[in-house]
Amino acid sequence: MRALDIAASGMAAQDLNVQVISNNIANMNTTGYKRQRAEFQDLLYEHVSRVGTQTSAQGNILPVGIDLGGGVKIVGTPRLITQGSLSQTGNTLDVAINGDGFFKVLMPDGSFSYTRDGSFKMDAQGRVVTPEGNVVQPGITIPQNSTGISINAQGQVSVTVPGTTTPTVLGQLTVTRFLNEAGLQPVGDNLFLETPASGAPQDGIAGVDGVGTIQQGSLEQANVDAVTEISNLIAAQRAYEMNSKVITAADEMLKTTTNVQ
Amino acid sequence: MAWESRWHNADDGAAERAETAAREGSKTMDNALLVGLSRQVTLSRELEVVANNLANINTTGYKTDSSIFQQFLMPEVSSGGFPPDSRQVSYVLDRATWHDLGPGPILRTGSPLDVAIDGDAFLVVQTAGGQRYTRNGALQISTTGALVTSSGDPVLGVGGPIQFQNTDHDISIGEDGTITVREGASATSDSTRGQLQLAHFDNASQLQKQGANLFLAPPGVPPQPAPLGVRVVQGSIEQSNVSAVSEMARMVEISRTYEQIASILQQENSERTTALDKLSAVPA
Repeated sequence: MRALDIAASGMAAQDLNVQVISNNIANMNTTGYKRQRAEFQDLLYEHVSRVGTQTSAQGNILPVGIDLGGGVKIVGTPRLITQGSLSQTGNTLDVAINGDGFFKVLMPDGSFSYTRDGSFKMDAQGRVVTPEGNVVQPGITIPQNSTGISINAQGQVSVTVPGTTTPTVLGQLTVTRFLNEAGLQPVGDNLFLETPASGAPQDGIAGVDGVGTIQQGSLEQANVDAVTEISNLIAAQRAYEMNSKVITAADEMLKTTTNVQ
Repeated sequence: MAWESRWHNADDGAAERAETAAREGSKTMDNALLVGLSRQVTLSRELEVVANNLANINTTGYKTDSSIFQQFLMPEVSSGGFPPDSRQVSYVLDRATWHDLGPGPILRTGSPLDVAIDGDAFLVVQTAGGQRYTRNGALQISTTGALVTSSGDPVLGVGGPIQFQNTDHDISIGEDGTITVREGASATSDSTRGQLQLAHFDNASQLQKQGANLFLAPPGVPPQPAPLGVRVVQGSIEQSNVSAVSEMARMVEISRTYEQIASILQQENSERTTALDKLSAVPA
């Protein structure tokens, strides 16, 4: 009985859906996290009788056919790249991007990864790094005993060095855009990698050519909406239950058949 | 041999009548079994349809399928043993499945590339096998900047595929499907990237499901321009129009009917056994 397989595909899909939803909820307070959504598609159809088949020599055709579906599959779990709300932290090295773009981070293996999480720190050499200690591009070093770190909307980092009155510009944070941000590959630690689907990274400057602007002293919160996630969770759980009922029904029908003498 | 001749001797006509009756009787019993079986086969197929609906209860743009049954008359049963009215036996045949193309609830997602169609029209998708139609408006941008479905097939605009530039941002899709963006540094004016093509079908029930949320228009079902009043709603998707309650009710009905028929078959079988026992009993 194919209904068993069809319902099983439904249960598997809802199981994955719950996984995606639970990851969203778990990351509700993760800086720069973008919520994911499970997208479903129906499986191939068996066309038992094709619509449009001639039913008589006079050219009468079937107005409707018999199409039996094979169930459901998850086609992808794209990220919804919408702006998360910015929360004020007051920390000078906390920056958020308001608009499109990612901060570029140099990984220990020499490759680059990208993040929306701007909770940067300073390491022992005075370099601006991510919480894991990876250098934020283009490698800005803040001199010792300088004061008043300021990051403007274009990402220019400037400090006041003792003995001078005008701030010194140390560098400008790179903000990278991708054509298809949903195609980036998440690798954990709030980092993303470039993929063939995301398109090549386009390094840019904040506030120029469609790149978002930078806000100092703020962090971008996750764009997870608790109410949406919980209602999705309920829907997924009920759908799972209903599919399991189909399995029970199919099982009972098979049992009935087996018991006929 | 001995009892046979005795029977014949006793009442020739009656024996013949009994023989005919027995033959007709066994035929009707066969028919009852087959009629029941034909219903069971269609019921198990109907359960497949219901299972597929429930499996797709969260599939964006999915449309409910229903089965249509037909009675299939077999005019073959008797040779005079029955009154004319009961000469035909009607079997059950599943004639068709049809798609309930009614709108699904529109869910607000806030994603700029999610569109729902409010009205009787489809998005047009260019697949390797030709143009297909879909109500699933959860769209993406491909590596090359084209507007695509989640399977990566380009979504067609009025003048062909819709292409975005590297520097585009703030995508906005109007009610008529016009896609405008802010391009690069010139953030004060909008540039148009195309208009979503919307196809309408006068007889949409003839569309064939292809899987992957796509419909195929068979020959003789030409796409028409969308009628007035069809709106594209940005930031929303159309959920599956499967009604959980009615599907569950159908499922219960299917499984109970199946049981009922099984018990009819069982009865029929025991009646048959009894009849065989009685008829084969040697008269004393």
